[in-house]
Amino acid sequence: MKHPVLNNRVRLIVWWLVWLFLASGQTLLFYYAFGKFAKISIPDTILSLIIYSGIALSLWYPFSYFNKEGTKPISLITNLVASGAISITLWMVLTKSIMLLVLPEQNNYREYWDATFPYRIGTGVFIYGLIVLSYYLFISLINLSEKKAKEARLESLVKETELKMLRSQINPHFLFNSLNSVSSLTITDPEKARDMVIKLSEFMRYALSKKDEQPVSLRSEFENLKLYLDIEKVRFGDKLFTEDHIDENCLETKIPAMLLQPLYENAIKHGVYESIELVKIITQVKIIDGHVEITISNNYDSGPSSKKGTGTGLLNVARRLELYYGNKASINTTKENGIYTVTLYIPTDYF
Amino acid sequence: MKKIRTVIIDDEAPAREIIKHYLKDLDSIEIIAECADGFCGLKSISFMKPDLVFLDIQMPRLTGIELVEVLTEKPVIIFITAYDQFALKAFELNAVDYLLKPFPKIRFLDAVNKAIDKIRSGTENLEPANQLLAKKPEPASPINRVVVRKGNSINLIPIEQIKYVEAQDDYVMIYHSSGKALKQQTMKYYEDNLPVADFVRIHRSYIVSVHEINRIEPYGKDNHVAILHSGDKLPVSRSGYKHLKEELNF
Repeated sequence: MKHPVLNNRVRLIVWWLVWLFLASGQTLLFYYAFGKFAKISIPDTILSLIIYSGIALSLWYPFSYFNKEGTKPISLITNLVASGAISITLWMVLTKSIMLLVLPEQNNYREYWDATFPYRIGTGVFIYGLIVLSYYLFISLINLSEKKAKEARLESLVKETELKMLRSQINPHFLFNSLNSVSSLTITDPEKARDMVIKLSEFMRYALSKKDEQPVSLRSEFENLKLYLDIEKVRFGDKLFTEDHIDENCLETKIPAMLLQPLYENAIKHGVYESIELVKIITQVKIIDGHVEITISNNYDSGPSSKKGTGTGLLNVARRLELYYGNKASINTTKENGIYTVTLYIPTDYF
Repeated sequence: MKKIRTVIIDDEAPAREIIKHYLKDLDSIEIIAECADGFCGLKSISFMKPDLVFLDIQMPRLTGIELVEVLTEKPVIIFITAYDQFALKAFELNAVDYLLKPFPKIRFLDAVNKAIDKIRSGTENLEPANQLLAKKPEPASPINRVVVRKGNSINLIPIEQIKYVEAQDDYVMIYHSSGKALKQQTMKYYEDNLPVADFVRIHRSYIVSVHEINRIEPYGKDNHVAILHSGDKLPVSRSGYKHLKEELNF
């Protein structure tokens, strides 16, 4: 850890101001208590506090060493008491020797020293306490902010992993059935087979390339969905019909890639897979109060289906919305008169 | 030699096309019908009594699996599906083979030859089935409906309407809100495939919907009896009582 005072100009200034404050305090105290030594007490105080300040600055190094993780409290306290005793002794010896060297009235100083001795010890312990407190306060603040930063990093990592997992996977059923259609078309309609292979490739490229969580424009999202629906149309022919009403102004809005895919997969799965009637998927996109409203609806066969849906697709979309937008986006579904509708509200200028 | 009368059932036109194309060169095969959903398929099989059926699994109205379950006279069946999860089930239903989409012609012809052998001679090559049965089945997701046949009509019973299931020799009797229906299946099948949160096996011969239970009373020394809202009384065995306790938290 870097030295908290020496490496920061502001802290250094504050540091000296505090010492100035302490020095004036001690001078006043000694002046009133031992008035007759005014000439001695001022230089003595200044010198002694400069010395103590120097010792205090260097105390940081043993302190940050004591504070290594896994130190037992008892040995920490022993270390602190020992270094305190050493510091105070060193401080007093240094102060006395230097003062005796520089002051002409040496006898006066000895007298003064003896009179102030208990106060000196008191001051020394008090200041040592202050230093310990401020250093440890500093250390724990640093640790706290480091812990917070670590937690934030961890949280964003978890979020990223979760987002990766939630991103829709290509449904193997879709893939193999599409490939089977291609296999069939190579015989009956090679032109169409080539068209389908190209569309399937483009769709796969889009789905696979969106590994990063960079948002994409609604325009490219819908272009990709069109590929997907075109492929399904080859499989199901006239049974699948799509209709789009998309406000051009919405198309540059950014959303997480492949966000809508599971909703269309659901429409196909519960609509086309389970029905023998024509299934119409209607997409409406418009702007309402700074939000893009995306509505996807499809009719479905109301009889009991062979397997109940697990709701995973819808839950994944809802969870992704929450992770990306917090409470600024929403998703709703309704079932009415054989029409299933899902509606999303997404802020237009979030990314 | 008599031609083998064949029906193709798949909800995707291109998938039917490729089968037709592969079959074109085989003089012994005659395609008599094509269907795009399970109901149509069931009708065709019931009325036309084909020798061979190519059957997709995921289809509207009635899945391929459900279709075979309600057939009284089963033709030789080749299942065709895009995804592996149903394969094991297909063999439980006596399919002669199953193909994974997309399939090469040689694999297709192999399946057709197996079917022809079975139709002409009645013998069967069980090798692929045994291979599959050695594989561990995937945990099935619970069923959502039961398909039963009543005379000529087919009923889809949503599982919410099932009150209880009773074992009757090789069959089970399914009691539901609008009557009862007999089905050739095992208790084990229902124990495994009905949602565990809603159904409990209370006895060797009974699986009951927990929503139908009105109260449980002691009966005899250490047996119990479940009384349903309808008034029906079902025996509860000792282990059944334990299951009930776990499920209902009492």
